[in-house]
Amino acid sequence: MDDYLVGVLSNIGIISFVALSAYLLLLTGEISFGQQAFFAIGAYAAGIATALWGWPLSAALGWGAATAGAAAILVGIPTLRLHGLYFAIATLAFAEMVRLLFELFRYQLTIDGELVGPNGSDGFRGIRYIFENDVSSLQFLVLIYLLLIIALVAFMLLERSRLGVTFRMIGEDATLAELNGVAVARIKVLAAGLAGALAGIGGGLYAHLTTYVEPRIFDVMLGVHSLAYGLIGGLGTALGPLLGVVIDIGLLESVRVFAGYRMIIFGGLVAVLLIVRPRGLLDERAVHYLSRVWRR
Amino acid sequence: MLRLLFAGLIAAVCLAEAAAAQSMRAKADVECKPAGELLHYDCVIKLMNARTSEPLAGVTLMVGADMPSMPMMHNVRPVKAAPGADSGIYQARLVLEMHGDWAVQLNLSGPVRDRVVANIRFDPDRATPVVPSRARPGHKH
Amino acid sequence: MIDFVQNTIDGVMIGSSYALLALGFTLIFGVMRRLNLSYGPSIMIGAYLGTLVYVQLSAGPLVVVAVTVIGAVLAGVYVERLCFAPMAAGAGIASMVSSFAIWMQLEQAAILVLPQHTYPFPPLATVAPLELGPFLLRVDHLIMLAAALALSAAVYLLLYRSRFGLALRAIIENPTAAHLVGINVKAAVMLAFALASAVGGIAGYLVLAADQQVTPMFGMWATFKGLIAMMIGGLGSIPGAIVGGLVLGVVEAHSQWHFGPQVRDLVAYLLLFACLVLRPGGLLGRAPPMREPAFGRRGA
Repeated sequence: MDDYLVGVLSNIGIISFVALSAYLLLLTGEISFGQQAFFAIGAYAAGIATALWGWPLSAALGWGAATAGAAAILVGIPTLRLHGLYFAIATLAFAEMVRLLFELFRYQLTIDGELVGPNGSDGFRGIRYIFENDVSSLQFLVLIYLLLIIALVAFMLLERSRLGVTFRMIGEDATLAELNGVAVARIKVLAAGLAGALAGIGGGLYAHLTTYVEPRIFDVMLGVHSLAYGLIGGLGTALGPLLGVVIDIGLLESVRVFAGYRMIIFGGLVAVLLIVRPRGLLDERAVHYLSRVWRR
Repeated sequence: MLRLLFAGLIAAVCLAEAAAAQSMRAKADVECKPAGELLHYDCVIKLMNARTSEPLAGVTLMVGADMPSMPMMHNVRPVKAAPGADSGIYQARLVLEMHGDWAVQLNLSGPVRDRVVANIRFDPDRATPVVPSRARPGHKH
Repeated sequence: MIDFVQNTIDGVMIGSSYALLALGFTLIFGVMRRLNLSYGPSIMIGAYLGTLVYVQLSAGPLVVVAVTVIGAVLAGVYVERLCFAPMAAGAGIASMVSSFAIWMQLEQAAILVLPQHTYPFPPLATVAPLELGPFLLRVDHLIMLAAALALSAAVYLLLYRSRFGLALRAIIENPTAAHLVGINVKAAVMLAFALASAVGGIAGYLVLAADQQVTPMFGMWATFKGLIAMMIGGLGSIPGAIVGGLVLGVVEAHSQWHFGPQVRDLVAYLLLFACLVLRPGGLLGRAPPMREPAFGRRGA
């Protein structure tokens, strides 16, 4: 498999995690511009675990997901009272704070005679796990997609489960859900934690794929994009955000004609879709229709 | 079904952790110049052993790039660098999608596997290395 | 002590530009109850047009101001038509997200036309800073402060002494009633947008002229500063915008002096976050309703 294709597919896989993260929050009716913060936390935590503490990759990824999830819960609690645009701006503020904190964060250890570790704005170089352990880019790609498939299966199970229905209930009308006995606050915090952990896994994978992360990577662009993927691809199913990612990276990227105009097209697409089809391409109606056709 | 998936995951992760320790690290000096056409740049790369600074010859070098401020959203086709005049010198032509700050990825395969990342700002008329801490975008004051 | 006062002075100067940015934001929010996250980028479009005439045609500062304002207004109206007008009454969130997406569009359009990292802007004043005892006052900052005060007064007069202002205030109070009384709400809203963009254009010009350059990052910067200042002072409140801007400016100036630029920005966002969590209405605004309708509801 040629390097370019492996690269593009790896990127699609990793961004899907952040897209799914934003999607999970969208299910509960909240817009978050800040999932990139948990992506960042996952990336740094996992990178530190392998590069500085010598942990194996699986433990590092778990650690990244756990710290990101914990941070998400910590932020989810004070913002419970906020809704709509106030919540969105709060997530934005939080994500920027995290990014700025990483610009100030220095934690370096001397390994093999060299200083390794996050060094503020200069970033975190040398996350060389895949080189030190002879993981080929193809093997890493398989890992990314294995984890992604697990996440998707989990989402499919969620959609059919009581919890999934509860999420959508809260998204539809939280007051009504509360009146129906749903513990809205607790479920929302749970959703926030899960979303954070998802983004954290993506971050850990990203750090090991590129071997180098810096705070600039985790800025608002990433957050808006991950949100937009769900809005474009559709909120009816977890495959919606993936569709959004594929449309953006796959099509717009690979077709050279669009090269310089990508964001113009992408931004315009989001704006137009929000007018004509606010729940995205694969919205609940489309999913319902498709599943009926499938069963015939 | 789920069990199969979990088994597969564990297998993949174990593969990933198969030990074949490599402690050779590389470092690089990258210099790029605009090459006539818009968004085309000719880059001269000097690869060295990070510790001993001796030039690394005979390495297969693929050069890619990603934008730090928009991660994973550009997919610059990696180009194979051609060996240059001296040992350890390689040349590649990069075709970018936008001007601005890019993280140029030097992927070494062949006898040595490694990746070195160089931060470079590509303007229409020149390309200058940037140290991220001194090139903070965002707030101007 | 001297440092403290000097920082406060600097903070007030910069804060006045933040106040202007917040003023535009708050006008849109007050009238439409929606947040326009493309505010900064539309000002940047104006600024890029301004620098274009400055560089290509060697235009004088007044022409650059005019072009900047006109450009900002055109971009603002574009955003209004695409992101705000077509959305149904309750879909404020969708407008906000849409405007954020258009931010990407505007930014890329600007970079396509002018790809360099920085472009020059005519300076506000080229004389040496004034000295008032031990304190230094930059003349261009003074001009900025004076212009901000004048502009705020002008907007205030427009809102409280003109028919258009009366119509806007009616819409802010109760859009349905305003419609019933015969006010053309859609047209008034679009004009309010244009007004906000014009104010933003002037604010942008002042900031960029004081800095003598414009970079592609300006759009996001302006949006964030205006947003933070507005949220601190209170959404939908004009005195709030001014207060918020000045508070932000002073807090930033002190943070930067003691801890550097990253902490300065960190403190600004922390202030925003704290305001949202503790007092979402801001210092002078009104508290938000408990549940806003979700966007893009099924069947809606």
